Formats: sequence, structure tokens, C-alpha cells
Amino acid sequence: MADKPDQDQCIKEDGISVALTHGLLDARAIMNEVRSPKAGAIVLFAGTTRDNFNSKPVLNLSYTSYPPLALQTMLSIARTVKQRHSLTAISMIHRLGVVPIAEESILIAVSAPHRQAAWRGGEEALEECKERVEIWKLEEFGGEEGGVWRANRDGAAGANVDHEGKNGA
Amino acid sequence: MSSKPPKGHFRLLYFASAASYTRKSLDDVPAPLALTDLFAHLEKLYPGIGQAVLSSSAVTLNLGYVDVEDQEGTGGCKSSDATVINEGDEVAIIPPVSSG
Repeated sequence: MADKPDQDQCIKEDGISVALTHGLLDARAIMNEVRSPKAGAIVLFAGTTRDNFNSKPVLNLSYTSYPPLALQTMLSIARTVKQRHSLTAISMIHRLGVVPIAEESILIAVSAPHRQAAWRGGEEALEECKERVEIWKLEEFGGEEGGVWRANRDGAAGANVDHEGKNGA
Repeated sequence: MSSKPPKGHFRLLYFASAASYTRKSLDDVPAPLALTDLFAHLEKLYPGIGQAVLSSSAVTLNLGYVDVEDQEGTGGCKSSDATVINEGDEVAIIPPVSSG
């Protein structure tokens, strides 16, 4: 695939950092990324992987990406949200490859002079990410069903991995 | 993506359900090709992919989203300056995303 397993990929500009990595995500590190003497609030969101989908057990879960486009989209979201909420800084990182259950797949940290803007900016950044960033989640249920590519858009339908490409559950 | 498509070709990338359906991550396709002919070309290579994958997917050309099917002018005629995929271009099939 287009992923490069050995290499973190990131874009940084003033008060903004977006990244993709195959490594573990570090909440402390991303908080430090947005920390500032001008900011009285840091809001951190950590998305973690669930062991079920609609109570069906998920055995294995992995993410794939189109890295140059995903980073470009993350940067565009970060710029928009930072400006709209007058954030001091914003940082977003998504993990790729296999993510063991209950580990973080995404971290978003935003800082702002006051908490209201930080809460709102953080939530908006996450929702925009889930809707637009070119990253795909594959859930493996085991057994004959194989894997399902999840789609955030409708929260349920995806496509099975089998060659017939039938719609997923 | 370090390597380049061979001379006279563009690179077509598959992600998620598109990669599962084609069982590949990419094809190098002879260029030039009208963007409006892309899905028909894919259907020939991978029968059924249109309904299974392409109908719910977006397409990018050199990292920008493009409209594949609505290239008709207001009079219902194909516009004369319809987008063409050229040698060395990078095109990608983008199924519905699921980050987070």
C-alpha cells in the first residue's frame, strides 16, 4: 500500500501540527505540542479502538491511508478550526496499521486562551476528521465473514473484503 | 510512493474497499484517458466494481477531488474541455472514509 511503515509523516506550520504514524500515540507529547503561556486551556481528545461493532466482537482492527492527501486534508481542517475558534494551537495525529483493542487511534489537542473555544474547537476538529480525512478502518470479525471496511458517513454500512464486494452488515 | 508509472501511463491507486475488490493497491493505466472514461475502463478490468465500489467512491487527480460523472454542459452535451488524465498523473479511488 501507500503507507510507509517505518516513517512518521507530518506537516507543521505556525501553531499547527498534523501527523500520521505507525507507532504508539503519546498523549503527553501532543499536549506539549500545543502548550503555550498564552493558553489557559488545553483540550485533549483520545479516540480508542472498541472490541465490538453493534455488539459483534472485533478481533483485529487496522487503519490504512492515502498519506499525502490525508495530511493535506488534516492541515486544511486544522487551519479552518484554528481560525474559526481563535485557537492558540492545534495538533492532530492518527495511527495507521494494526491498532490493538483499547489503544488510541487518534489524538487531537487544542489550546486556547479560555476553555469554551478549546472545547468547541476540539470537537469540531474531530468531527471534521471523521467525515473527511482519507483514512480507512478495517474491522476483522474472524470466521467466514472476513473483514469490513467501516464507513463513518452512515455509521454502519461498509464493504466486505471478499471479491464480490458485497455490502457489509 | 517512490516509484513512478512507466512512460505513457498514469498511476491509479486503490484504497480500502477498492483495494479489496481489485486485490491490488495500484494499476498503471495507459494515458491519456478522458476522466469520464475512467469508470468504464475500471468496469472492464474488474467487472462489478462500478456498483460495488465506484458508486460510493470519490476520485482524486493529483491530490485534488474531481467530478467524474457530472462533466456534462448545461445543454446536456459533453463539455469540450473535459478533464483528461495524462501521463505521470496520480489518480485515486477514495471510498467512504472511516478515521477516528
